[in-house]
Amino acid sequence: GDSRSSARTSADLVAYKNVNDLPPPRDLMIQIDQKNEAVILPIYGSMVPFHVATVRTVSSQSDTNRNCYIRIIFNVPGTPFNPHDANSLKYQGAIYLKEVSFRSKDPRHISEVVQQIKTLRRQVMARESERAERAT
Amino acid sequence: MTDGHLFNNISLGGRGGTNPGQLKIYSGGILWKKQSGGKAVDVDKDDIVSVTWMKVPRTSQLGIRVKDGLYYKFTGFRDQDVTSLTTFFQNTCGITPEEKQLSVSGRNWGEVDLNGNMLTFMVGQKQAFEVSLADVSQTQLQGKNDVILEFHVDDTTGANEKDSLMEVSFHIPNSNTQFVGDENRP
Repeated sequence: GDSRSSARTSADLVAYKNVNDLPPPRDLMIQIDQKNEAVILPIYGSMVPFHVATVRTVSSQSDTNRNCYIRIIFNVPGTPFNPHDANSLKYQGAIYLKEVSFRSKDPRHISEVVQQIKTLRRQVMARESERAERAT
Repeated sequence: MTDGHLFNNISLGGRGGTNPGQLKIYSGGILWKKQSGGKAVDVDKDDIVSVTWMKVPRTSQLGIRVKDGLYYKFTGFRDQDVTSLTTFFQNTCGITPEEKQLSVSGRNWGEVDLNGNMLTFMVGQKQAFEVSLADVSQTQLQGKNDVILEFHVDDTTGANEKDSLMEVSFHIPNSNTQFVGDENRP
């Protein structure tokens, strides 16, 4: 049911209204803000929020050097099973952030992050598809 | 001219996260020293090209662009510092700081701006994030519409951050007209 729920999702969901609504800056690491449904990424010393509805998939892997990697893929138009048409029509000419990947020193933190993103995303998607069904 | 302004808790931001330090802004320019010694940033007044202010969570960020294309970001200013430094830059360098806004909406679509070494992802005319192209080790075109930027990695990468950015990719739909057949594509 992901495809049906995407009609509204990221186009209208907003993570934060004000700069100071972001959680207090902590360590420079990926954070999940459940309340605001945001994934917050450390990019160049800044914490950059993305609404979880913009996330398409998240995965992690580790190498033999005890490094751990996390890859977050975002929704972009034209992806199979994820028609973003309302969105891409509304924002023609936009460029999309498609993917980010991070290396982490803390595998446990990364596996927590992956789980949290997946759970939060599922909750938000379920809620949004319910809302869409009620609306019709 | 008195000896300008001294700030004790100002972080320099960049690829590897942020470093706390001491910033001196005086009539000759800008001098930042890392708290634990070591790295220093020394900018001559005459090399400053532009100055920006941006409100970030709970504090303000000062952006200093210099002649060789480099761009420094200092974080940790109070509102009253912003006011006094704005006046200072106007009087000392004849530069009026511009205000930038940070996007916190959480969207992943917007525009890409290239300015000097910096690539800025803008969402709704506000800045979502910036990366320095000087740190990009490789760019790749994937398919017709995706551009991948890979960042340099070495032992010091992420020295003071837990999670370090390795790769970013942008999707540029066919409907985009900004980068059609342009060798400056991001």
